[in-house]
Amino acid sequence: MRPTRLLSVCAGLIVAAAMSTNALAEQKKLYVYTSMKESLIGGLKSAFLKKHPDIDMVHQSAGAGKLMAKIAAERESGHIMADVLWTSEVPDFYQLKKEGVLHPYVSPEFKAAINPLPDYDGSFTAIRLGTLGIAYNTRYVKTPPTAWADLKKPAFKKAFGVANPALSGTSYMSVALLSKTFGWGFFEDLRKNGAKMGKGSGQVVDDTASGELLASLGVDYITLDKISKGATLGLAYPPEVIVIPSPAAIIKGTEHLEVAKLFIDFLLSKEGQTIIAEGGTLPVRTDVEVPGKYNLPQVADAMKRSIKIDYPALIAEKEATVKTFTAIMQK
Amino acid sequence: MRSAIPAAPRVGTAQILFGLSVAILVIVVAVPVLLIFFNAFWVNGAFNIVDVVKVLSQPETYQALLNSLILASGVTVTGTIVGTFFAWLVTRTDLPFKGTMKVLFLVPFMLPSFIGALAWKMLLSPRSGYINRMFMEVFGFDGPVFDIYTYVGIILVETMYLFPFVFIQVSGALERMDPTLEESARISGADLFTITRKITIPLVMPSILSGSLLIMLYSMAHFGTVAVLGIEVGIYNIPTLIYEKIHQSAGSFASIRTGTVLASVLVVTAAFILWLQNRVLSRGRYQIIAGKSFRPTQLKLRGLRIPMLVFCIAYIGFTIVLPTVTIFMVGALKTYGLPFTAENMTLFNYKFILFDWQLTRDAIWNSISLGFVAAAITMFAGVIISYVIVKMKVRGKGILEFLGMLPFSVPGSVIALGVILAWSGKFGINIYNTVWIILVAYIARYMAFSLKANSAALEQVHDSLVEAARASGATMWQALRDIVVPLVRPGMLAAFFLIFLPALRELTVSVLLYGPTTRTIGVAIYTLNEDGETVYSAALAGIALIIIVFGESVIKRLFKIRYK
Repeated sequence: MRPTRLLSVCAGLIVAAAMSTNALAEQKKLYVYTSMKESLIGGLKSAFLKKHPDIDMVHQSAGAGKLMAKIAAERESGHIMADVLWTSEVPDFYQLKKEGVLHPYVSPEFKAAINPLPDYDGSFTAIRLGTLGIAYNTRYVKTPPTAWADLKKPAFKKAFGVANPALSGTSYMSVALLSKTFGWGFFEDLRKNGAKMGKGSGQVVDDTASGELLASLGVDYITLDKISKGATLGLAYPPEVIVIPSPAAIIKGTEHLEVAKLFIDFLLSKEGQTIIAEGGTLPVRTDVEVPGKYNLPQVADAMKRSIKIDYPALIAEKEATVKTFTAIMQK
Repeated sequence: MRSAIPAAPRVGTAQILFGLSVAILVIVVAVPVLLIFFNAFWVNGAFNIVDVVKVLSQPETYQALLNSLILASGVTVTGTIVGTFFAWLVTRTDLPFKGTMKVLFLVPFMLPSFIGALAWKMLLSPRSGYINRMFMEVFGFDGPVFDIYTYVGIILVETMYLFPFVFIQVSGALERMDPTLEESARISGADLFTITRKITIPLVMPSILSGSLLIMLYSMAHFGTVAVLGIEVGIYNIPTLIYEKIHQSAGSFASIRTGTVLASVLVVTAAFILWLQNRVLSRGRYQIIAGKSFRPTQLKLRGLRIPMLVFCIAYIGFTIVLPTVTIFMVGALKTYGLPFTAENMTLFNYKFILFDWQLTRDAIWNSISLGFVAAAITMFAGVIISYVIVKMKVRGKGILEFLGMLPFSVPGSVIALGVILAWSGKFGINIYNTVWIILVAYIARYMAFSLKANSAALEQVHDSLVEAARASGATMWQALRDIVVPLVRPGMLAAFFLIFLPALRELTVSVLLYGPTTRTIGVAIYTLNEDGETVYSAALAGIALIIIVFGESVIKRLFKIRYK
């Protein structure tokens, strides 16, 4: 009889769906929440899984702001799904550490890495040194910008974009650092020149590639990945380089602590760091070279030129920074 | 023969069915919606209207309310004009290929509007949109011809995908209209203008109004287009503001509260629109009784026949073909921004999305399985509940009807917010971040569809059939299984597809509920676009279009043939 058959098919499918989720649960799970784009996390993940075939890793890739909102909602509901959090929004990590949400872990690989973060206790460890420069479209911009102040020029009128700092950790950090260095007047001038606030850190770069923007505040590996795919983009570093450590942390109370530790070890290992450098961003290990094909500064040089980060001030002023910036850009 | 049926114990099949129906509806529909109102109006256990007013008077929320209103009104006006005009054209004129045109004008209905918005962004963003660039580079324009990131842009894009609401209603009314009314006016010497003004328009007015109210209802609660085209330039409506509140401000309770207040406003507005529509329909219903008469006289377009055909084809080409082609072309680019030349095109993106990338593979599987399971559950639950509503004489079934139709006036973002409040551990069950929470939300969202389809089918089954079965000694269950279910099977199948196909392209609900492994197709397309993975986003949108069109045409047709 047809309805009964339809019913049993449906019931069968529901049971099958339920069983397949159960079957997956038997593997060693790892949930990673990261703001790294697929071009970086994808390679790391497949290398990690190749090394540990018994692990089933799932990653949620989204802007730092969204991930923090997700974690906050999960905390409200009583269960944080993430085992490892890896973003570029450093103040979040200090905040989470203060609230006792992070599980300190000093990886044996840590010895070979440089540590840019003060008060290190293993709660979170820098995995990469993200740099930001000016990504520009080479089809329209014939003389690459050499200084941050160039963005105030008529050549970039109505055509410079910064990602929304409420969404993107790198954007938030850059805004904080640039406003500390040049004062809020810098962004007010940019706004007068028609600068825009976009969405995520990837979108402003894609908008630059399409020519919707002529230039944007570009994250190194995102821009370089698009260049390697043929996008007509360039990445220029003004003398004051923005270098942002992207820390990773293990969430306290995770059921997958051992797997999470393995993942942190892998990220800091020579293999992991080589993948990171190949992806087009700076590694934290001094024994890993940045490939010459990218126009990236070497780690030591970048650190020397970098805008110094005053972490306590950064944490204290986080909300005010986002508010002031948004107010300027929406004027 | 059992003669003791009336004297059966008080808790019989009827009561069990009734209890079951109430339980399903209360748990799935009523609790989440009530929690929204509760959270909006109760603070620390006390009724608090001051706080609500405070939230509403914040510039941000006030502006979002205003935007929702502006956009919805704009879309309603343009959608009504476009829909009515084309409906008139395909029913009352001698336009060539009318049948084909009629089918084509329904195509936008199955295309998800956020995918359309994505395509229009690629075509008409001020500096890099392909159309704008063509004008600037080829024809030497100084600036863009049209900026899509504006109120007008959003209104036009939504119009393209929502006008069928009016088109369907009005073309139906025009076809069913008794032509003798117009004929008698003509015989009495009235000219065409007078006939149109005094006879035709008043007759189809209820259909126009009810269609345009549907557009308004949909547009008020619409997330996708505004999210793609508005957020960047600061144009928020209520659903996008709820999304921002939930996703950006670290999920504090204050932001969820703001969300519930906004949601309450949305529910009240939607309820008002539906009430208005009911009034319009109940007043207008008796006016369009199809007489057994001749076909209505057709207006001879004469010299305008071919230009009108060209216009229709151009409209379809511009609003359906062009965006679809753009999506597929961009999906095949190596990276966004490259010109469309052979060496820049690749099928890699499509392959990567279908076979290699876990995120997109999960998304496709999630959407299909969620749609299937939600449709199946809702279909069966809908039959039971409709049966109680239509056929049984149980006290209190008015409540059932109200509860079942409630989601119809409750926008998707409100349901999503409600299920977060209800199912994230506060009441013992925590399915937050799992696929189940989306399933529960889908069941709540689409229950009304199932009830409508199933009630319509059940109303046609005469009571005497069941009574005859019962009189011959069948139990209630046997009567249901052997008589009712086979007879309402077309209604059940209709309900299934009414739910399965929209669920496939759903975005508004799942974007508020998705977790690491539970992205739906809509969420994946939207978040990829937000993350600047434009080509992957377009490629996935292309695959989604193929799945949707396949579902709408092929599967639907197969089932119809088999079950006719």
